[in-house]
Amino acid sequence: MTKNIKRRPPTLVLLLAVFALLVALTPLVYLWVRLGEFGIDKVLAQMLRGRTAELLGNSLLLASSVGVTALLLGSIQAWVSIRSNLKLRVFFGVTAALPLAIPSYVSAYTYTALFPGFSGFWSAWLLLSIGTAPYVYLAVSAALLRSDPATEEVARTLGAKPWRVIREVTWPSIRPAAVAGALIAALYALSDFGAVSILRYDTFTRAIYNAYRSSFDRSAAASLAGVLILVTLLILFVEAKARGGYQSAGGNYRKAVPVGLGRWALGPNLLLSAWVVLALAIPAFSLVRWSIIGSSSADLGEIIRALVNSIGYAVSGGLVTTGFAVAIGILTVRYQSRWSSIFGRLVWLTHAMPGIVVALALVFLSNRLLPGIYQTNLILLIAYLALYLPNALSAVSTPLSQAPKSLDEVAQSLGASRLSVLRKVVLPIAGPGILLATLLVTLTVLKELPATLMLRPTGIETLATRLWSETSVGAFSAAAPYALLLVLVAGIPAWLLNRQIRSTLRQELERE
Amino acid sequence: MMSSTLSLSGISKSFGGTLVLNNLNLDVAAGEFVSILGSSGSGKTTALRLIAGFDGPDEGEITIGDRVVARSAGGKRSAFIAPEMRRVGFVPQDAALFPHLSVSDNVAFGLQGLSKVARVARVAQVLALVQMKDFGERMPEQLSGGQRHRVALARALAPEPALVLLDEPFAALDPELKAQVRDEMRRALDLSGSTTILVTHDQEEALSIADRVAVLREGSFAQIGEPREIYAAPNDIALATFLGDSVIIEGRVVGDKVETALGALTPLNKATDGARGKVAIRPENFYLQPNATGPGLVVGRQFFGHDAMVEVEIHGIKIQARANGPFAPEVGMRMTVWVRGAVNFYAD
Repeated sequence: MTKNIKRRPPTLVLLLAVFALLVALTPLVYLWVRLGEFGIDKVLAQMLRGRTAELLGNSLLLASSVGVTALLLGSIQAWVSIRSNLKLRVFFGVTAALPLAIPSYVSAYTYTALFPGFSGFWSAWLLLSIGTAPYVYLAVSAALLRSDPATEEVARTLGAKPWRVIREVTWPSIRPAAVAGALIAALYALSDFGAVSILRYDTFTRAIYNAYRSSFDRSAAASLAGVLILVTLLILFVEAKARGGYQSAGGNYRKAVPVGLGRWALGPNLLLSAWVVLALAIPAFSLVRWSIIGSSSADLGEIIRALVNSIGYAVSGGLVTTGFAVAIGILTVRYQSRWSSIFGRLVWLTHAMPGIVVALALVFLSNRLLPGIYQTNLILLIAYLALYLPNALSAVSTPLSQAPKSLDEVAQSLGASRLSVLRKVVLPIAGPGILLATLLVTLTVLKELPATLMLRPTGIETLATRLWSETSVGAFSAAAPYALLLVLVAGIPAWLLNRQIRSTLRQELERE
Repeated sequence: MMSSTLSLSGISKSFGGTLVLNNLNLDVAAGEFVSILGSSGSGKTTALRLIAGFDGPDEGEITIGDRVVARSAGGKRSAFIAPEMRRVGFVPQDAALFPHLSVSDNVAFGLQGLSKVARVARVAQVLALVQMKDFGERMPEQLSGGQRHRVALARALAPEPALVLLDEPFAALDPELKAQVRDEMRRALDLSGSTTILVTHDQEEALSIADRVAVLREGSFAQIGEPREIYAAPNDIALATFLGDSVIIEGRVVGDKVETALGALTPLNKATDGARGKVAIRPENFYLQPNATGPGLVVGRQFFGHDAMVEVEIHGIKIQARANGPFAPEVGMRMTVWVRGAVNFYAD
């Protein structure tokens, strides 16, 4: 309708967005430049080593087993809490999302602190599955709440037994969400650094860190990082394909009648009780126990310093990242064009970089090109920007799209410039949503481990790095206050602020 | 009585202590089209769900064909057949096509027992019946609202159900489309010889499509009968206003007439001498005769094109009368008001 009218974004917005994108993509690009410099022969030799194959096998085994487990667990949790008549289904629904409040390395710490022999593949599989099942649970819950329960009833009247209804009607309606959630879980397992390191299971991320730490020849670390990026990109593309789903017509569905499980209720009850014990009770018990043991010898000054540093990095990282995300969001949401959608896709590409890879790339970059910024606050901010720009962009996109486009046109017809339309109309309307997005990104930065570990200025410690160093020398009681603070200050507030969690739980509760 | 395809006897159902259905009795003959008419909260959807087997009654017995599909007493089920074993076709309000299956696959969903050849033939047959035979390869999201409903009907008819249940299937459609889809569906149902129950809150829809209408009010059938009968002789004053417009005026029985502000009227039903009560008159049963010295004064007029609703003040009361559009009297004109035919009298 208005497609012939030229709507150019304000220059300032464009400049900020381009700058942010360049900064965010630099690590990804530079890593490949460096790989080229090491020489194809050397890189190929590294990549084709038996060790690489072993790591690849380990990483893929972990990623796929975590993905499949999360798929099964999360789907069962979603179905039970939304469609069944279990007495505890609301409780199970709330607890299904709660592990998102516990960073993976914190849960790894709580388990190793309690069970000394807890390490290796099965440990990593268990904890990462628990940590990622909530992604599937939330996606499948949303899909179930969106789907039309009348289709299941119609299927029954057409002669389908309950099992056929689940297989041929319910499952197809949640499959896209479940598969996308499982791929996110696999991606998370692939890029996780903290948990696999604490649990001593050799994946790419752990090997990259060790290679970086132990040798002056950085080509090994870089080659591994290159392979990791390729695998991650592959999963990302599959995930993008899996997303979406079938359009159900209409929208005002009759509420689903809860399915009576009868004597089958025992299975889900046992499974979800085990979930509560493994995912929440054990970590909570361990945290409290070690905090009590550690409280006598805790160095309060040290803890406060770490907390202040953490908050400082988190707030500045959150502000910078969300600020640039707003500029990109204005471009992709309010000035939609072919160019702006390419922009959005490039930002999404930075998802392909696990924290450890971003950190490594920035180490290379600062060593070679900008020695002045190595181990400074600036390089940390760049790392956070590169890591969390996609999260921030998706968080600000909804609020930015809230002001109707006709308001832009009205304001412009009243003589406002494009920049002042943004300042006076769009941003005030989107303000609260952007604030919330900033807070969420801030809390996410607060939990970040690998990039902070590798890039922070010497002598500066955060909650995450303190937890890491105490745990790696087995000082569990000394690590406890940091773990507890991370959950209390970052995890639980982030859990409470998560829009998807809130809307899913609210809809579940409204069914009562 | 003819053999019934569906029979409800003494059906009651409560949810959380609230009685939703109270002692329903209904017999539906083979090939008959019955609509259950009720406002929201009347329990009509619950009744449909009990027939389909999505839930069981607390009391009473449901028979489909010659099979008892549900029998309960005191909340205990002594017989209950699962929905998939009842041979009931169900068309919900939003059509609820399986979004991941093509039109053909949707229709074939209930034809598992057939050979592939027979299945393809049956799908083509029912799609032709609802005039959708060229749409087999389409996905549900590519269909319009009316087309979706026709496919949903074809899907329900494909396994040759003993009974077809329609749950407000036209509620979501545009008014113009509604009448058309309704006619097409009635035709397809007649051609297939189906016995049909339609649940609706739209009295015009119920009266125009069904052979018989059962009016459900607060969980009980207030009246069951042919549309003309129900419209012409509602059982009580509330039904008279629920089923179309009615003018209600006070009256007193004197002899075999009812004395009202509009004069002495002939009651349709039995009236005891001296009884006080109310008379319900349909707006189309008034005849307005222009008369410069008449007792009625036209105080308002709503023009609808083909007809008009004229508001007349007469002897201290206001009545609404339907008049022929182009010749409707003007505001300010004086009238004599006549009542055509007999009226329904309801004693207080």
